[in-house]
Order: sequence, then structure tokens, then C-alpha cells
Amino acid sequence: MIRITRQLSIGVFGAAALLAGCGGSTSSGGTASGGTNYTGKTLQLAAVISLNGPGNVYGLQQKTGIQLAVDEINGHGGVNGAQIAMDIQDDGSLQQQGAQVFQTEIQEKKVVGIIGPTLSNTAIAAHPVANNLKTPVIGPSNTGNGIVGQCPYACDYIFRDSLGEATAIPDNVKTAVQKDHPKSAVLFYANDDKFSSDGAKIFQQAFKDNAVTVPDGGVLQFSKTESSFKEYVTTALSKKADIWAISSLGGIPAKVMIEARKQGYTGPFLGGNGFNTYQVSQQAGDQGKGAQSGSGYFVGTDTPTNKAFVDAYKAKFKDTQGKPQLPDQIAAQAYTAVKIFAEAAKAANLTFTDLAGDRTKLRDALAKVSVDTPLGQFSFSSQHDVHQKVYVVAMDGKGGFSLVNTYEAQ
Amino acid sequence: MTPLIAPLAAGTSPGYLLQQALNGVFNGSIYALFAVGYTLVFGVLDILNLAHSAVFMAGAVIALVLMLNFGLPFWAALVLAIALCALAGYLLDRVAFRPLRHRGAPHISSMITSIGLALVIVSIAENRFGGNSQRFPVDRVPGGELHFGGLSISTVDIGILVVTIALMIGLAFMIERTAPGRAIRAVAENPRAAALMGIDVDRVIALTLVLSSALGGLAGILYGLAQSDVSPYIGRDQVELKGLAVIVVGGMGSITGAVVAGYLLGLVEVAVLVFVGSNARSGVAFAVLFLSLVLLPAGLFGRRAGRTT
Repeated sequence: MIRITRQLSIGVFGAAALLAGCGGSTSSGGTASGGTNYTGKTLQLAAVISLNGPGNVYGLQQKTGIQLAVDEINGHGGVNGAQIAMDIQDDGSLQQQGAQVFQTEIQEKKVVGIIGPTLSNTAIAAHPVANNLKTPVIGPSNTGNGIVGQCPYACDYIFRDSLGEATAIPDNVKTAVQKDHPKSAVLFYANDDKFSSDGAKIFQQAFKDNAVTVPDGGVLQFSKTESSFKEYVTTALSKKADIWAISSLGGIPAKVMIEARKQGYTGPFLGGNGFNTYQVSQQAGDQGKGAQSGSGYFVGTDTPTNKAFVDAYKAKFKDTQGKPQLPDQIAAQAYTAVKIFAEAAKAANLTFTDLAGDRTKLRDALAKVSVDTPLGQFSFSSQHDVHQKVYVVAMDGKGGFSLVNTYEAQ
Repeated sequence: MTPLIAPLAAGTSPGYLLQQALNGVFNGSIYALFAVGYTLVFGVLDILNLAHSAVFMAGAVIALVLMLNFGLPFWAALVLAIALCALAGYLLDRVAFRPLRHRGAPHISSMITSIGLALVIVSIAENRFGGNSQRFPVDRVPGGELHFGGLSISTVDIGILVVTIALMIGLAFMIERTAPGRAIRAVAENPRAAALMGIDVDRVIALTLVLSSALGGLAGILYGLAQSDVSPYIGRDQVELKGLAVIVVGGMGSITGAVVAGYLLGLVEVAVLVFVGSNARSGVAFAVLFLSLVLLPAGLFGRRAGRTT
């Protein structure tokens, strides 16, 4: 999910808009009017993301988003004069590694805040570590249940700028019902992954709320390491459902869609955040055309902040053939997480001497952030969850996405 | 009380069951293809080459990179990728197995070394290729579906089935009837005696690794084609454990056993999905492995408990 950093003054906003007009991007740099001057200081942050393992499909996008935001902020005077030092570390897509790296960053590298981890499955191990050590965290792509707000552990230092499945999926299902009028659905989900399992529960509730029935045997569970989906697709086809939902990560959604089209399914697909990267859309190709998901970001959003972000991203990152890369939801949310931290730090009156005090000040400032970002105007809810627009998007069959619908922040 | 075996849903047609049986056969082909190379090495070296899954992955990744980044047509990419996997097999022996063999290290050391090399190969793929799942470009690879009588059959799956059977026959012929095959059998039976008979044991083992890795690479490419999935994790996460179950059930070192057990596992997995439910499906490989070890420790085609050294 994407979060947008808040500009602290109209003057800063104006400067950002001017930069956008000049081909730059949104800026959280410089000194906010009224903010403490941090010149000569270093704002030590960490990003603990999946650079290896299955989450690396998202982690590498997060790395680019974070790098862009840090370069922009430092290039425009830093945070009230302080330069951001971002230590990017790998959680390996593993719970234990994620928790260990969080602890190292907090206790040894003395960071004031952390962005990460990539996967919800890792977050439930890493976030308690940060919370126990009273260090603020922004989850840039942790969309499962219980990540913020009502957590199974204390989480008052945990925020996320990633649109939860509990918000995205119901809006997605609502749009599908209005558009396609399905009466029945089948659901595929990976039963050994928190994100996927949470998404499946939310899909089932959303179908119930919209009078879409799931036939007996219509909920198909598999392992996230499953190699073939032929037999699952054959079973799903036998249910003759109007619509298919897939709650899973990595390459699985595309594999299910490709196999479904091979076996003759012609109806629509619904998915969760697992759909929202270009890699998944590219892998699904023509067979994924129309596959619909709720997203915290749409690359074509026509706002100066988003346009500036997209232009800066395209200018900085190229694919293996040298073509400019477009940012996806994952990159935009990671970019936004840095901007949110920067905006909060500006207003937090940090001392740079009392680390524990600064962490708590930063946590308190995060709760009050309101900022214009590529995701739209962004602030946190009282539960530290996102308060932003929902974009319902569909795969375009060519590796990209088109906008289907939007829902204003609730 | 919930019955252990779920009754077939009303309206379940013979066509549905036939389609599922075909799915099981096609899945089994992949398992068998992967396991053939796996078991070949075990039969000769008496060790598990746990880098086989990494070579399987490398075959698919290299072929895709050759097509996308170097513009090679599919068949050229396939041949070159298999050749590179064969080379990797040779290097695997030189780096991971031969030095330990010459030092008389226990088999467990070679197995651990192969795990290390597998991690290295996967890490290289992650760093050079990324963690994304990708697919072969649809318009540049063979493909298509046949639909008749309500059945859907992929031409790639048919191709894999034919290749698997042909390879089993070809390998069995080579092992039984050719000079290199006889040398492989001799080394598998007793490397010291084979050496005394004038067989260059190192050369035979290297040949076995080359052959096994070429087969592994081919299996990876065909997997990528059939499943529309190429990523650094397809070997480690998706077929390694099943491949292990297959070679144990088939009888360690038995090529015919690997093929038969591959198809058996594919069919059992589908049967569990159809008759028990999807929630039980993912534990099937473990259950088959467990039952095989308890009931049939030597496997379906296992003949020997150990090798004379």
C-alpha cells in the first residue's frame, strides 16, 4: 500500500509543485517553517525488506522506491537540514531473519525508525521486536490482518502505509458485483501464508455481504510452494462459478489464471495485493486481462505529486533493455514511507542525543502526519492504519493496469 | 462425523475424473523428469546431490535469459541451456564431490557441500534474474491446447509425457547396453573393483553428473514451459521435496522406479484433491514418503541396501 508524506506548510507544498513542474518529484526536503533546525545531523533510518527469497519480487521494488525518496530528500536540503542515512537490509523473506535484523538495527545501529518488513508473514515476528524496543515502524506492504490497531501483540509503535486487505478486497468485490453481477464464486488461497489466509477470510465475508455464494468445495487451499494448479483449476471449473478469486502471492495468481484460460474458464478474476505488481501482470499476460484488485496506488493518477514521482522514477530506473521502469504500488508505498518519516521528523523536534526520547517523539509525530503523496492525500487513522483513497485496478493484458474505480478514504 | 473420504459431489462426471487423471499423469511427468537425474547420481555416487534442484532451476532461467536478452529462438536456447547445465554438472563434480571423494570424506560431507552449492546457484540467479516469476514469451515457444469431449490437454504436457517416457527408455538402454552405461553400473556396484578393471572412476562419475545435470536442466525448461513459471525458486520450493519422495518411493538409484513413482505421486495427489479435499493435498508428498519408508523401505524397484566400497 502506498502512503503519502505530508507537507508541513503551504510554502513547502508550493515548492514541491514547482519542482514537479520542472520534472522533479515531490520533496520532503528542506526546513519546514517552525521546525527545529537539524543542520549537520543525520537521521538514521533502516529499511528491512525482502531482497532475497520469495518476497524479493516486492522487495526490489521497495528498494528502488526508498532510494528515490532518500535521494530526493537529501538532494533538497534533507530533513530540516539533517541528511537521511538509510541502512537497507535484507529480511530474506524469513520471520526469524526479519526479527533479528530489526533487533540489530535498533540496538546496534541505533536507528530512530524502520521501514519494513516486506511480507506480513515476517511482520508478525519483526514488529513485536520493534514495539518492545519502542521504535516506530512503517509497514510498507503489510496488508494482512492484525498488523496495526488490534494486533495479537502490543503495536502502538507500528504504522503501515499499505492499504489493508480488509479495505481493498471489499471495495474490489463491490465493484465486481456492480459490474459483472456474479451469483457464485470459487476461491483459491495459499493456506500456509498469513497474507493469503487473511485475504481468503476477507473474500469469503465480502462475498457473503454481497450475496455471492461459494459452493461446497469451492474454497481451494494449496501450499505457497505448490508447483501445479491443473487439478485445482479442473475442480474449480466443475463448480461452474461466475467469478474466481485468488488470494496468494508471487507467481501463483498468474499460474492459476493461465491454467484457467487453458482449461476454458472465460469469467472474471478477482485478487488481492498479490496482483498489484507489474511482474504478476506481465506473467499473466493476455490470460490475466481484466483481473481486478483493490490497490493503494494507481500509476496513472493525474496529480502533480504522482506525476512528479512517476517522472523521477522513470528517469532513475531502467529495465534490462534500458527502458524506463514504471513504479508499481509496492515502490510507491515504500517511497511514501520515507517521505512520511521525513515529514514526521520535521515536526518532531528531535534532539539527536536522546535516542529513546526521539523514537517516541517520532512515533507521536507520525500519528499526526498529513501529506500529499503519490497515493493521494495521506494520513494515519487512529489505529495507525492508512486513511486514503482505494483504487480498483485491472490487468490490461500487456503487463500493466487500468483504472476501474476509485473509493474515497473512509 | 465427517467421513474421511468425501463423497463425490452430485453431478461429478466421468469427464471430470478423466480430466483429473490426465492432470495427475502430466504432473507426474514433471516429477519423474526431475527425479530421473536425481536418482541417477544417487545410483552411482550413493549420495544425494541436493544441488540438482538448483540445476533444474538454472536450466529454465538460462533458457529464458537466452531468449529475452540474447534473442535466441526457443530451440537454440533449449540446447544451449542444457549444454550449460551439463557443464555445471561437470563443475559440480570438480568442486563439490571429487575433492571430498579423493579425501575419503563421508557421504554426508558431499551432501552438505551440494546444499551449499545449491544455495550459491540460487543466490546468483536471484541477483542476476531477480525473484520474479516470469514465463517464456508465449509467441516464441511451442504451445496450444487440444479440446475434445470436454477434455483440455496442453500440447506441451503431451510433449513432456513423450520426452519422459523416451528418456526413461533411452537411459535404460544406455545403462544396460552401452559401454559408458556398463561403466556407470560397474562404478555404482563397486568403484574400487571398477578401478581395478581399468575403468576411470572419476571420468565415469563426471559423466554421470553431466548426464544428470543435462536432464535436470531439460526438466527445468519443460517445467517452465508447462507451468508458465520461471523463477529462482522453482527447484528448491516446488519440486525438490517431491523429487526426493519420488526417488525414495521408486527405489533409490532406480530410473524405472523414479519414473513410475513420479506418475504415482502425481496421481495420488490428484486423487487426494478429488476424494478428500484441497486442504489435505499439500501433505501428500510427505505422507507418501513416510508410508514408503515404513512399508517399503527399499522402494518399488529398490534392489540393494548399500554399495560395496
